[in-house]
Amino acid sequence: MPSTVTIDWYVTLSVILFTIGALGVLLRRNAIIIFMSVELMLNSANLLFVAFARHLADLDGQVLVFFVITVAAAEVAVGLALIVAIFRTKRSINIDEINLMKG
Amino acid sequence: MNAFGLAPLILILPAIGILFSGMAGRRIIAADRHAGERIVGWFASLMALGALVVSVLLLFSLQSSHYHAEIVPLFTWIDIPAANFTIPWAIQVDTLSVAMMLVVTGVGSLIHIYAIGYMHGDPNFSRFFAYFNLFIFFMLILVSGSSYLMLFVGWEGVGLCSFLLISFWFDRVDKDGVAMNANAGRKAFVANRVGDFAMLVAMVLTFWTFGSLEYDVVFGSALEMFASGQVVEFGLFSASLGGVLTAVTALFLMGAAGKSAQIPLYVWLPDAMAGPTPVSALIHAATMVTSGIYLIVRSNVFFEIARASGAQIFGLISSPDLVAYTGALTALLAGLIAFTQFDVKKVLAYSTVSQLGFMVAAAGMGAYVAAMFHLITHALFKALLFLSSGSVIHGMEHGHHHLHDHGHDAHGDSHAHDAHAAEAPFDPQDMRTMGGLRDKMRITFWVYMIGTLALAGIFPLAGFWSKDEILAHASKNAGFLPIYVMLSLAAICTAFYMGRQIKMIFFGRPRHPAAEHATESAPLMTVPLMILAGLATLGGLLNLPFFSQGAYKAARAAESFGANLALEHWLEHSIPAFELTREGALQMPITPTWLQFDVALISTALALAALAAAVYGVYRRKPETAVEPDPLQRTPIWWFAILPLDTLYMRGLIPLFNRFAAWLADVIDWAFWHDFVHDNLIRDIFVGFANFASDLLDGRGVDGLVNGAGSFTRRLAGAIRLSQTGYVRNYALSIFLGTVALLAYFLLFALR
Repeated sequence: MPSTVTIDWYVTLSVILFTIGALGVLLRRNAIIIFMSVELMLNSANLLFVAFARHLADLDGQVLVFFVITVAAAEVAVGLALIVAIFRTKRSINIDEINLMKG
Repeated sequence: MNAFGLAPLILILPAIGILFSGMAGRRIIAADRHAGERIVGWFASLMALGALVVSVLLLFSLQSSHYHAEIVPLFTWIDIPAANFTIPWAIQVDTLSVAMMLVVTGVGSLIHIYAIGYMHGDPNFSRFFAYFNLFIFFMLILVSGSSYLMLFVGWEGVGLCSFLLISFWFDRVDKDGVAMNANAGRKAFVANRVGDFAMLVAMVLTFWTFGSLEYDVVFGSALEMFASGQVVEFGLFSASLGGVLTAVTALFLMGAAGKSAQIPLYVWLPDAMAGPTPVSALIHAATMVTSGIYLIVRSNVFFEIARASGAQIFGLISSPDLVAYTGALTALLAGLIAFTQFDVKKVLAYSTVSQLGFMVAAAGMGAYVAAMFHLITHALFKALLFLSSGSVIHGMEHGHHHLHDHGHDAHGDSHAHDAHAAEAPFDPQDMRTMGGLRDKMRITFWVYMIGTLALAGIFPLAGFWSKDEILAHASKNAGFLPIYVMLSLAAICTAFYMGRQIKMIFFGRPRHPAAEHATESAPLMTVPLMILAGLATLGGLLNLPFFSQGAYKAARAAESFGANLALEHWLEHSIPAFELTREGALQMPITPTWLQFDVALISTALALAALAAAVYGVYRRKPETAVEPDPLQRTPIWWFAILPLDTLYMRGLIPLFNRFAAWLADVIDWAFWHDFVHDNLIRDIFVGFANFASDLLDGRGVDGLVNGAGSFTRRLAGAIRLSQTGYVRNYALSIFLGTVALLAYFLLFALR
């Protein structure tokens, strides 16, 4: 059967994922959750890249996704290390308590 | 023969004398008092004598060059090429200046020699001779200069010497501790300043009018301008030449009144007698005080133009007439004041004022030759009288010393009861303490008699010829009748006060022990006296009258010695014999006015009567003692003793002037200038502006700008700081919103 899933579906899904991720970053207090929300936003972007690469028959989008996955992996490694370090001193990963840079 | 090249010597020789006495004199005298005084005194005298020799050579040079005035340039004094203004320093050798030089150096030399004896033993012997030579130096500059400016240099210089020599004994104080000699010097100086101011103004006016101060140029252009009726332009205004010269000559009269002791400035001359007697003789009788007459005679062209133009001062009197009346009034007034004096030198001083009045009156009447003639004869007999009075004073002092030495010897050790120790301070110049000196001082007596008769105008002595020539001039013109009367009265006064003086000094009995022991002075003093007495006797020969115009012309045509040497003929080369008419310089020779028989007879009779009245009448027996009042003391004449303008100046003018000066100082200077102008106008406005600048401009403006920049930044930073919450959410939100905003911009505007 011819595919009935058009590009609009992918775009809609990607927007929903991005919105969930952005709201998660803005509203949640737990640093781990925020991290996961960030991943969600990255992956919504990846989804859009892949979908448009297929839709336009161009491999550039696919290639870019690999870069994004690599950078995200590195970011998670650094971010988690930071969270562990903060937790060790503060005994908490509630980001509302991390406001030492307040002006 | 031509010796004009030697002319600078008349200035150089006295200058050498000044340097010698001034620089080496004190040391020479310190080494050997007696010989040193001789060396210093004779050196100074020789310098004066040298100048006399040069003057005589100049006289012969003039004669051989047919009396042509010679101007000997020395150097250029002031030279401003841009303004075309040059003042040369030059000596004018003409008959008038040589006549004056001869008087100054001739009488000056004799007085120098006399002073060696008179100043003997004075601790400041060399200073005296340095000043004396300095005086000769300046006096010769005055008479020999070729311009009014040089005359003025000499004029001021002799004024300085007069001041220095009047107050020569400046440390002497009277019994009240007043330094009267120093005060007298100052008085002379101040009184002369008044006249000198007028001189300066006159010179500026002259320069403004003619563009020069050289006699030649000035007189030449004055005559030209007068002939062409030219008007003097002073830029903003213009005046007729006659009017300008009336002002100039009136100012010259003021200057002459200061220097030659005329009303109203004569008050300094009697006080000037505080100086040593040779000074009184040389400066205040024979030479310096005659420089006012020299000035008038020298400026005869100005005076004649002023007379011919008919211009009058305030519409009252022409300036030559003012001169004549000033002189005549001074002659009479001073003659009367002389009655009331007891100081031997003050009588002679007022007599000098009176005789100077004769000369000024003569010059004012246009009788310039008569004025010069009287100037010369007066220099001779008045120097003689002053020096003789110095000899009298010397004799009295000698007698006084002798008395004291004698008293000490007689009373041995107890000088406490010495009869003379307790007496009032002895004044050797007071005629009341004299008397009977005829036998004590025979030479002095005889020369004094000659001087007295010459001054009184008794035939055939010098004063007779010159005074009667003046009187003849006054009698010739009906317009001068008041002057003739005043001068005749003054001549009577002269004879009377001289008779009084002779009687009080030489006749009768001694009225003081000092007079009993008075002795004759040394030959160093009496020899110059005898020479001067000879000159005073023969001085009239200078201008022996020719009783008719024809005889004069014949004598001149025959080139006879007398006619050629006659002062009238001699001076006519410097004083052109012309009469100016109002229309222009119509020159015509005027007949020389010789002495007139009737006038001479009357004046001689009057003088003899006055002499006799004094000697055999009023003062025949009185005063018997030194304390007895003068027989005249009850008469109205005595009123003149308190009349002197002196009192007026001291009581009226000087306090007024002081008050004016105080007003200037207190009100104008302090109240107005300092307190008001400085404090209120300048200081307050300045301080106000400074406050404005520092408070507003600097404080609010510049500082405000700088500080404001700082505080604005801080406040801004404080405001912005609040956005730095430290909450990651907030940052994330702002990034989100920023992204949305950017995207919205791109999507809605940029990519459209």
